[in-house]
This record gives sequence, C-alpha cells and structure tokens, in this order.
Amino acid sequence: MPSAVDMQRPVEPLWRGMLVYRTLTLASTAAVTVWRLDDFASPAGAVAVLVAMAGWTLLTSIWYVGGRPDRRLVAIADVLVTVAVMATTPLVQSPQQLAADAPVMGSIWTSGAVLACALAYGVRGGLLSAVAVAGALVAFQARMETELGDIQLMILAGLTVGYAATVLRRSGERLREAITHEASMAERERLAREVHDGVLQVLGYVKRRGAEVGGQAGELGRLAGEQEFALRTLLTTGPVMTDAQGRRDLAAALRMLSTARISVSTPAHKVELPARVVDELVGVVGAALANVALHVGPDAPAWVLLEDVGHGVEISVRDEGPGIPAGRLEAAASEGRLGVAKSMRGRVMDLGGTISCDTAPGRGTDWIIRVPRAGVARNERTVVHRR
Amino acid sequence: MSEQSSTGGDAITVMVVDDHPMWREGVARDLDERGLKVVATAPDADAAVRIALAVRPRVVLMDLNLGARSGVHATEAILDKLPDTKVLVLSASGEHADVLQAVKAGATGYLVKSASVQELIDAVRRTAEGYPVFTPGLAGLVLGEYRRLADEPEGPAGAAPVLTERETDVLRLVAKGLTAKQIGERLVVSHRTVESHVQNTLRKLQLHNRAQLVRYAIEQGLTDE
Repeated sequence: MPSAVDMQRPVEPLWRGMLVYRTLTLASTAAVTVWRLDDFASPAGAVAVLVAMAGWTLLTSIWYVGGRPDRRLVAIADVLVTVAVMATTPLVQSPQQLAADAPVMGSIWTSGAVLACALAYGVRGGLLSAVAVAGALVAFQARMETELGDIQLMILAGLTVGYAATVLRRSGERLREAITHEASMAERERLAREVHDGVLQVLGYVKRRGAEVGGQAGELGRLAGEQEFALRTLLTTGPVMTDAQGRRDLAAALRMLSTARISVSTPAHKVELPARVVDELVGVVGAALANVALHVGPDAPAWVLLEDVGHGVEISVRDEGPGIPAGRLEAAASEGRLGVAKSMRGRVMDLGGTISCDTAPGRGTDWIIRVPRAGVARNERTVVHRR
Repeated sequence: MSEQSSTGGDAITVMVVDDHPMWREGVARDLDERGLKVVATAPDADAAVRIALAVRPRVVLMDLNLGARSGVHATEAILDKLPDTKVLVLSASGEHADVLQAVKAGATGYLVKSASVQELIDAVRRTAEGYPVFTPGLAGLVLGEYRRLADEPEGPAGAAPVLTERETDVLRLVAKGLTAKQIGERLVVSHRTVESHVQNTLRKLQLHNRAQLVRYAIEQGLTDE
C-alpha cells in the first residue's frame, strides 16, 4: 500500500493489489499445469489455455491500470473470459483428472475476476460474480460437495472486497466534501473580515458625523459608536482559549473587558497563566470596575493596565473619581462589613498575591494587584517555565 | 528644515491612506475644513508609497488594514525615503500586534477611528510638530514590548533597548490613562519633559528595530556596502 492514498480515487490501491494477486495466481496456476502436463488429455490445449490466460491477464492489467476502457465493462468481460477458461476443462483434462478432482482450468486464477467485479461494482458486483464463477466451477467439475469450501471462500472474498471498495469510495467522497467545505468556510471568513472592516468604518464615520451635527443625529452617532466598539472588541479578541496545559492568555481575557468607557492596556504578546488564576484575576478586575461604576458613576472612565514583569504580573485598575478617604477601607473592614475591597483582597491572597490601593481625595483610586508566577506555580503544583 | 511643503503657507500637508473610499474622503474633508491641507489620498500600500514620494507630505494618516500589503509595510517604506515625514496610524480594528509593528517601523502615533474629529485634528497637529500621539493602549503595548525584549536572549542587533526608571514611570502613567499634564504634576516635571520621555521610548524601540533590519539585510546580502 502506498503511504498517501489519492482521495480522488480511494480504491486505486486495491486495484493495484488485485493485479499483483492476479499475476501471482497466474504464475502458480501455470507452474502446476506445466508440472502435470502429461496428465492432460490434450497437453497442447492446456498450454493454449495458459497462453490465453496470460494474454488476458496482461491485457486486463493494462486496461485496469489505465482505467480505459471503462473498468466496469472490463470486469464483466473478465468474468466471461474466466468462465470460458473454466469451460475448457472437459475438453483438455483427461477422465482420470476429472475423476481425481484435479483443479478446474484456471484454478485459483479464476478468483481474480471476482475481485475485479467487487472493486468495480461493490458488494453486489462481488457477490454476483462470485456466484457466476462458482456456478461455472460446479458446472464444469460437477463435484459440488468437494468444491463447497472454495465456493464459500470465493463468495466471502467477493463480499468483503466489494464492501471495502464501497466504504473506501464513500469515505473518499466525504473527505472531498469536507475539504471543499473547509475551503468555502475559509473564503467566507475572509469575506466576513472584509465586511466587518467595512462595517467598522461606516459605524466610526456615523459616530463622528453624528457628534458634529448634534441633536438626533448625535444620538444616532452615539449608538453607532457603541456598536463599533462592541464589534471591534469581538473581532480583535475572539474567544479566550485554554491550551492543553490548562493555561490561558490573561492579556486576551482582560481585553474582553474593554468598553467605550473602560480602556484596557496589555502587552502585544500572550501572558499565559493557569486558567483558574486567569479566571480569578479577571473576576477581581471585574469587581473593581463594577465598584467604579457604582461609586464614581456608570459612565465614569476607568483604565486597566496589565504588565508582565517576568516573575509575575501586575494589574492596575484606575479611575478618576473622588478617591477613598484614608482609613475608610480599614474602618469598613473592622466594622465587619465585607466590602468589595475585602473580597478582592481575599481572592488575590488566595493566589499568593498582594493588592494595594493608591488613593487620595480628588486623585481617584488606583488598585494595584500583584501576583507572582512562583506563587501561582506552587498552588497549581506545576512548574512555570518562562520562555 | 521642517518646511517641506512647496505649496506655500504654513498649512500642514497631509496624505490620507485608507482603502475605504467613504472614510478616506470624509476624513480628507474634515481635515481640509479645519485648515489642514490634504495633498493626496491613497487606497492601498503601494499607491501610498508611490504618491508619498511624489508629494512629500508632512503627515501621513495611515490605516493598517489595507488588503494585500499592510499599512506597516507602507509606513516602513515611506519613512525609509522621507525621514522628515511623520506617520500617524489611524486604525479601525485596533489590532494590537499590527499597531506595535507600525510603531516599531517608525509611526509616531496611534489613534482609533472612533476618535472624534477634534481629537483627530489635534493628533495630526501634534504629529506634525514632532510629538508622539499616545493612547493608553499603545503605552501598554510599548511597555510590554520592552519587557519582552529584555527577556529575550541577546539578539543579532545587540543588547535589547532598556527604559530608564523615569521613562518606565511615564509610560506606565500614560497606560493608566493620565494626560501629559497630570503626569507632569505627579512627577513634578513640565509636560514637555513628559512628552520627551515618551518620545524617547519610541525612538529607542525604532532604533532597535532598524538595527535588527540592517543586520538582517547584511546577513542576507541585501545591501551593497
């Protein structure tokens, strides 16, 4: 079997195999016939039949390999010629040979035509040709009981090879369909990218024009701007995948949080951490952002910055709100109120990290979350290799 | 020196590169209406390079998503021939990797297309004056790139560029959304000083990128000398 199967013609290797089988059976049949030539009633006739078999084998090999004339026609002719070869048995074999149940003319070579039919027509072709050849076997040898095993084997071969050919053809078709489908999907994706880019441009344009014209158009422009932002975020971030080692890109995960009011800055390269850590950090940042919306205002801008500092990561979540007066966080905690700050702190500490808050009245709030890679590695029982 | 426009006056000459006709014409009109001089427009990277060499604009407003050849390519080619020209990237998709590449290729600013007309005009003027136009997002990318280069084994272009402590502080504050004025107040320096720190961070990155390209060209036998 060749290593690469041509998917346009999946049955091809089986044809080649059949031809090899055919040639080998021709050689063995010829050898046995020549060795026993003296037994024949007509040795010249036996040799003539052998020459015809060899000629036919050569001819069909050329036709089968070339694929012309149509293999299906050649296969039918093959069965007819094979039956004809078998029909010479009473003419060339001696009565002693017939009585001794010597192999029919063509012997094992005759099964080649069955295989050819099975390959050309599938299960049905294999079965019908096997029955035809078996019929000839019975007709020209008339010893049904001794041939039963051969007949069963021949029918079995016709069935299995026919089945294999059918399955191969079908899977070849499916593979072809799948590849065509894949190519059309890739083309659709390319078109989608172009369309999306066009949509982004138009939305951006509407937003700008609307803002200039003002009034109702301004409202339209604002809506267009929101959609533009949502689409751009979707296009540039895509789903955040977890790789085989259970690691995920924190940078991509955080970028998903960006909106028209939230700016997310990250490195261009991936910042990979165990998926659980990424989820926790995204959760903490989300809580901080929700806090901004709650205390500063739903439209208040906020900035998220992710830095990969080698031995760990640093995340900053900043707003320009009124800030938190000194001691208020501690007071809230000591009163037993589980404020946002405390829950954030707990989550970060579970990851082996620290969280601090840089704030002063009138200067906004800047949460700084630091999580070491080493701490993450210990908790996750995995060794983290840095590039 | 800074006066390259042969069309007279002190209007800033601008070329708009964008594959989307509606956007291209719209932006050109916006700029024209506000006293900037749009001397050319181009729909793709190859045309952009050809036309830029002919009209020598002060500022090129460059879209990155231009089809076959990207705006990064055009940025590189234009700045190679016209070192006094400035490139301001105006991108719809906000593709972070592309933006970083364009900046390394020499672009001195980056703005998303959703920016308002006034922001755009200001950005073009600042770019023409030689100031970098930074968004927090771009600052985050540049900061990340310095970290990445520092972690890399020593490359063919020699040691990776490093930021001074002050430059790192400035970039970080830009990435956190502070304006140059706010940063100046915090670090007790003038906002001009802040601008020059930001400029330095870009210049070093671009020099390193250039050194890498030259080294690569020599290795590949692409240069004559």
